[in-house]
Parts: sequence; C-alpha cells; structure tokens
Amino acid sequence: MLLRLKKLLDRLRQNENQLTIVLSLMIGALVGLVIVAFILLTGRLAARMYPPDGAGWHRILLPTLGSLVTGYLLWRYFPLARGSGIPQTKFALFVNEGRISFRTVLGKFFCCSASLASGIALGREGPSAHIGAGLASVIARRLGLSQERVKALVPVGCSAALAAAFNTPIAGVLFSLEEVMGDLHASVLGTAVLSSATSWMVLHLVLGDDPLFHVSGYKLVHPSELGIYAVLGVVGGVGSVAFVKLLLGLRLWFMRLPKWSVWLQPAIGGLSVGVMGYFVPEVMGVGYNYVEKVLNGDMVLKIVALLAILKIVATAVSYSSGNAGGIFGPSLFIGAMMGAAVGSVAHHFLPGYTAGPGAYALVGMGTAFAGIVRTPMTSVIMIFEMTRDYTIIVPLMISNLIAFFISQRLQREPIYEALAQQDGVHLPTAESRSDHGRLRVAQVMRAAPLVLAPEMSVSSAMAQISGDRLVGTPLDAWPVAEGRELQGMIQESQLKEAASKGDAVKTIGEIANLGLHHHGDAQDFPHVHSDHTLSVALERMGTTKLHVLPVVSRANVRHLLGIVVLGDVLEAYGVGRLSTTQEYAE
Amino acid sequence: MPQQRLATGTSFIGTFVLMSIALAALFVIDTFLARIERAEDRAGAMRLLAEGHRLMQDGHYAEAAERFKDAVAVERDNRDYRLALAEALLAAKSFPEAESTLNELLQRDSTDGDANLMMARVMVGEMRIPEGVSFYHRAIYGRWNTNAAQNRLRVRYELIDLLARQNDKEELLAELLPLQEEAPDDVKTRKRIGQLFLSAGSSARAADVFQGILRRDPQDPDVYAGLGEAEFARGNYPAARSNFLEASRLKPGDKAVEDNIRKRLELSEQIMTLDPTRRGLPANERYRRSLKLVALALDEINRCLPTPALPSAQDVLDAASKALKARLVESRQNAVTDANLDLAEQLWQIRSKHCGSAVPASGDALPLVLAKIDQ
Repeated sequence: MLLRLKKLLDRLRQNENQLTIVLSLMIGALVGLVIVAFILLTGRLAARMYPPDGAGWHRILLPTLGSLVTGYLLWRYFPLARGSGIPQTKFALFVNEGRISFRTVLGKFFCCSASLASGIALGREGPSAHIGAGLASVIARRLGLSQERVKALVPVGCSAALAAAFNTPIAGVLFSLEEVMGDLHASVLGTAVLSSATSWMVLHLVLGDDPLFHVSGYKLVHPSELGIYAVLGVVGGVGSVAFVKLLLGLRLWFMRLPKWSVWLQPAIGGLSVGVMGYFVPEVMGVGYNYVEKVLNGDMVLKIVALLAILKIVATAVSYSSGNAGGIFGPSLFIGAMMGAAVGSVAHHFLPGYTAGPGAYALVGMGTAFAGIVRTPMTSVIMIFEMTRDYTIIVPLMISNLIAFFISQRLQREPIYEALAQQDGVHLPTAESRSDHGRLRVAQVMRAAPLVLAPEMSVSSAMAQISGDRLVGTPLDAWPVAEGRELQGMIQESQLKEAASKGDAVKTIGEIANLGLHHHGDAQDFPHVHSDHTLSVALERMGTTKLHVLPVVSRANVRHLLGIVVLGDVLEAYGVGRLSTTQEYAE
Repeated sequence: MPQQRLATGTSFIGTFVLMSIALAALFVIDTFLARIERAEDRAGAMRLLAEGHRLMQDGHYAEAAERFKDAVAVERDNRDYRLALAEALLAAKSFPEAESTLNELLQRDSTDGDANLMMARVMVGEMRIPEGVSFYHRAIYGRWNTNAAQNRLRVRYELIDLLARQNDKEELLAELLPLQEEAPDDVKTRKRIGQLFLSAGSSARAADVFQGILRRDPQDPDVYAGLGEAEFARGNYPAARSNFLEASRLKPGDKAVEDNIRKRLELSEQIMTLDPTRRGLPANERYRRSLKLVALALDEINRCLPTPALPSAQDVLDAASKALKARLVESRQNAVTDANLDLAEQLWQIRSKHCGSAVPASGDALPLVLAKIDQ
C-alpha cells in the first residue's frame, strides 16, 4: 500500500499538470480547514471577551490590551503580518516571486485571532486571503516548484481562503483574478476554481450549509425605486471615498510618528475603538450579527446612521495604527448601515414605492465593497452568494457601478495600491496589467510602399529599392508576394550579399528562404496581426532582427494587409524617430 | 516542457505526508470546535426561548419577539423558535414581520398545521379575511405532529367563530356541516353547534340539534332557550313561546336570561296577534289583521318619506289610503285580504328602499310578519 502510494507520488512528481491539479485540491482543503479554525477561534473568543451586555470598562480595556500585545508581537516577530493581507499578497506575487514565509502565515493567524477577538474593528477575510496565499506559497516552495509555479499557486490559496471566509466560492475565485491577479482571464482560473470548490466543501462539511447572512426575500417594489438605488450608489461612493481618504490620511500620520513608537501605535487604535465601544458596543469587532439585524430591518435610522459613521472612524483608526485585520468585513458593515439609512429615509417618504430598509442594506453592502475595494464584479457576485437572494441583483449592479465610478473619480488610486505606495512599493495597477488601452499595430500600420515578386532578379530588385528609397521612408526589408499572396520578407543585406557573390541575375526566390510557402508551416514566419499590441511587434522585431514586419490577416496568413516599421512604433511611444534604418542597426 | 527543479523524492513525499497529517489534525480540531460551538449555541438559544416565553406571559410581546429573533439567529432551522417568534410578532401586532417569518416556515413545509394557523391569524389581523379563511382551511387539512384531530377541531372552531363574526352565513354553514360529524358528542359541544347553526341562519338544523340534546337531557334551560330561538327564526311562534316559557321555568333566577326570554315572549305575542297567516283564524280576523298591517306599514312610510311623497311611491300610498277607507263586501273578503297583504308588502318595500333598514317605530314584529308572509 505504502509502496503504491510512493509510486503514485513519484509519478505525480514527473507530471507537472497532474501535480498542479492535486496541489490545488490539497491546498483548497488545507486552507479551508485553517480558515474554518480561524473563524471558529475569532468568533468564539470574541463572543466571550466582549459580550454586548458586559461591563463598559471591559470594552475599553480589552481592545487596548489586545492591540498592545499584538502590536508588540507584530513589531518584534511578525512585521509582515500587519494590515489586511491583500497588499502583502500582491507584493508577494508581483515583487517577491510568490514568497510568503511560514512565519508570516503563523503571525497572521495568531495576531489576527487575538486582535479580532479583543474587539478591534477589522475583518477576518483579508487576513484569510493572506494566510491562504501564504500556505500555498510555503507548500509550493517546499515541494521545490519553479518560481512561476509558486506564483501560480498564490492566487489558488487566496481564492480557497476567501471561499471559506465569506462562504462564497465564486466570489473567492473572482476576487483572486479581478483584484489580486488583475486579470479575469488569468491562466490560473481552473486551479483557482478547484481549490475554491474544495475549500467551500470543507467549510460545509464542518460548519453546515448556512449562508453568511440570512435575508428575507426582497424584491423591487416599483420600477422608480431604481432611482433610489442610484442615490444609494452615490451615497455609497462618497462614503467609500471618505473612508479610504480617512484611512490613508491617518496611516500617513501614524507613519510620521517616531520609529520607536511603531509597536505602541496599534494600542492607539485599540483605545479609540474601546472608547467608541464603551458608548456603542456594536462598533466593536467584525459586527456581522448586527449586519444581519439590519439586513432584516431590525434597526432604526438613528442607530444605523451613527454606526455607519463610527465604523468608518473605528476601522480607519484600527487599520492605520497597524493592527492586524482586514477591511472587507468593515466595508460590508459600513455599506449595510449606509444602505439602511438611505432605505429608512426613502421608505419613510415613499412607503408605497420602496422596499424596507433591509433591502437597501443588502444593496449597500455591495455598494461599499465596490467603492472601497474597487472590484465591482466580485462585489455583485459576493452579495448574491452571501445572501443567496437573486431578486435584488439589478439594483445591486446599478448601485455598485455608480459607487465604483464615483470612487474612481474622487480617489484615483485604489486602496490597496495606495497602501502599498505609502510603504514605498509600487504594485502594478489593474490598468497597467491589462492589455486594455495599449497601443496596437493597427494604429501604426501602413501600406507596403514596395512589394517584390519572387521571380524578380536581384539586380532589378535592388534598382526598385533605390527608387523607392528616394521617395519614401527608408526600409531594410520588403515583403515578397506572388500576386496577392505573401511569400516572406527579404532583407537588403541578403540582396547585397547575393550581388557581391555575382548572383545578381538570380531570382529572389532562389537566393532567399522566404519561409512562407503554399503548403509550408506558417507558424514561424515573422509577422504580426493588426490587433497585436506594439510590444508584441517590438518583441518579434527583436527576435527576427527585422525592423519591418508584414501585417497579415488572421483569416489568411498569406494575405498581406500592410507593414509595421520600427520607426513608427518608437514614434507612437513618443520616442524620437531615427533618421535611417541603418542607425537602428548601429 | 521546462524541467523543474523539484524537491528530492524523500522531501517531496515528506511534504505530502506532512500535508496529509495537517489535514487530518485540522479536521479533527475543526470538528471538535464546531461541535462545542453548536452545543453552546443551542444552549444559548434555549435560554433565549425560555426568556421569551416568560416575557410573553408578562405581556411584553415586542421584547419577547426580540429574544425569539436572537434564538432564531442561532438556530435557523428550528421550527419551534420560528413559530414562537411568529406568535410574539402576532401578539405585538407586527403583522408584516410575522407574515415573513411564517412564509419561511411555509416555504419549507406548506402543510405545517401550526404555521398555517398562525398565518391565518396574521391575515385576519391584517383584515385579509378571504386569505385568512384559506389558511384556516390549510391548517385544518394540514399536518399536525401531535393531537391532530383535536387541533383540527380547534382550528375549525376558530374559523367558525371568525365566519360568525363576519356574518358570512353561507361559509359558516359550510364549515358547520362537517363539524357536526367531527365534533365530540357531548352536550356542551352540541349546544355550541346548535347556537352556531342559528348564527348561520339554519334554524331547522339548529332545532334538530337542540331537540337531539333534549332527548338526552330534558331539563336544560339553555337548550329550551336555543330551541325557542330556532323555532322563532323558523316563524313557528307558538312553539317558540312555549320553549321560552319552559326555559324561564327551569332557570327562574337568571335575570339576563329572563330579560331575553321576556323580550322574545313579548315579540312572539305581538307577532301572533298580528300574523294573518296563522292557522285557524276566521276570515274576518284575517281581514282585520291585513288592514292593521297596511296601516302600520303606511304609518312607517309616513314617518320617513318627505311630503309630498316621491312620484314612484305615490300610487301605492294612494292605494293604501283607499284600502283603509274602503267598505268591505263580505263575499270578497278573502280577495281583499290577499290584496291588502300585497299592498302591505309593497309599502314595506318602499319603506326599505327609501328609509333604510332602521328598526321600525312599531317594533320588530311588523317586519317579521311581513317576512313570513313573503315566504
């Protein structure tokens, strides 16, 4: 039995694809179990440490002490385990070759458990993502996988963690692709889905089939209600920006404090939360039980409005002072409260046309998430998965997009990029990672000024080239076509070499291996398509040592559409044009 | 495929072994923690439920609902917690909330008798009577975990009481017919059924029920009173009178009963002296009574109609005045009596049309006699 297992593992070791699939499943299960433990620990401890009906002084002392202890631990032993974990995961992925140390994973788990259990107003989902990504990285490196493979497994762990933390398997995958990878079509999609599904299955096995929030079935009462959801989008967008700006501003202030105070700073956050919690206990911790209450319309306007404001302040000060914890959960809390406030006002004035405040709280959660985290796709799917309520999806999309748009306008830098920048790290933005908006070949392509025939002699080709040089931009290679069918490219150097050898009477077809024949393999032939980015064109020019490439049709690679010239490419990038193609060579 | 620099065989296998051990250990730890959490949650929910019930008993329904809500939040699948919550919300008159709570229960099991009964009460509370009746029916034919027959009977009584309050005689009768079969055969239940048949306007069935009881217990004054009402409603005034007298004799000290019976007796007497259709009356007495009816009806009209009378009513009024002044030819006595009765009915129709259904100044006897003639 053991021998057979050993053989199986040995075979797995030889097959990269099978290994990746098996690892995705194992990482999914392991991360799922770790996150379940994380949820149970933080939940149980929090319920014991600061019950809402407990003594008021308790609520001041506990977060202060908790953040003091975790602050010291973070400063002394786990400096990379601060904050939410999403910027850290992105840093590992894009800067640190996918490396997250086991020490950081341990630090994140224990420090976050302690700080969340003590009532710090942060969430557990961001840290979960970091823990998941970290575990994947540790396993991959221990197995000796290549850097690329390690990097590919980081989002796999991340999606498994989010699937378990939020009980949202689809949103877990989406978030990993949309925010962490910045590419919804990333090649890790399949493995991320596998790990997410495994993790979700483990969660259900241990904790049962319960959505994160239970919501009464809401529906659109009247079409005009969409207008109010749009207003909620505006409120959510502005609220999100206020939260992000406050958090970034406070963090900058804390960063300017003397270095020696770093370990003490989290206690300032803890004390602030404690003072707020003394008067309003609901502001402490993750607060999902209050979110559920507001989703079911069980809180009044004054309370929800107050909670929205207090939670913004509490979370901003907790995070910026350096405590361990995320902003996902607080975003949902803030959004739910803002939504309920808008919904209460709307329902008061237009009772016949609007649903109850709970419906708005539900949409508000997604709105704040889209505004703060800036992942509109993920937020729509996440709210749907969290509540399993499909009826509210259209208002949710409208509100989310408005909040996303406003947030983008008023706060250019997304929160995670801005946080990394404050730390002196320049993470690639979603825009910079996507092909969208990049320059394309079609923008610089031109008609070929001269097309040579394969049966043309070398001498007459050289004569034509000289004539062409007098009237147009100087080129160092020309397309060779038979009728309308492209045969390949011929370089001036090839013609000159043939002439010097006394082969001036030979045809072009005889002196050059044109590469593209009627029945030949066209894959290696140097060419670009009009929808290629200019960076692809540059890469191919570098590989083929040609400064001119033919632009061909995707439907028929022998159909010449035009040419793309190095000078034009450089000019499109804003680099000065060189006078002759010879200068490129120099 | 690029060659990877994978860990050595031992290290590779070792990592998988470590992962497997970690998976097993974590699974055990998680299951243990989850079990503790579930047990604590369950105990907490039970505490909340008990607290809620105590608050309900003290009449603090809104606070009780809060406790039940917290209990439901802990144990979502617990049907009893949801029912308790719905009951508290219903008592606190939070009908929409109670409705949504019950909807969730009914989505899980649409045949749940308790939930349907509660929903029926919510509908009645919101004055959505037809929907309420429908939920009562679902409760009657639904699933009950314990004492199904007793619960169904209880629900049917509740529905019948509602229908009686709504004065929906047709529906009431429809519910009473099966109840007659299902209900236990004790005197108390039979008396109630008899009264309900009276409310449903089925005096013949009511009389049957009361007579059935009297066969077993001929000394029950309430049954005589009920039978008197049934006979009265059937227009059988002498029988009504004798039953009322018997009830009065059997229960002499009860002032309320005596008052009621006295009123009924007086009315019966009035009707009997006014009713021209009574058997055995001589023709001249029938004629005299028919004239009396015309006179009383005309008098009632004159009290409420404006003078001069409406053109549509004028012909009938003229005919009535003429009939009252006319001299009787003995050979035409029966024909004139019938014509007078027709005239009295027409007058009463005019009165009902223009003066509404207010109690006539002459008392209840006149409309009852005219209704009997109409039958």
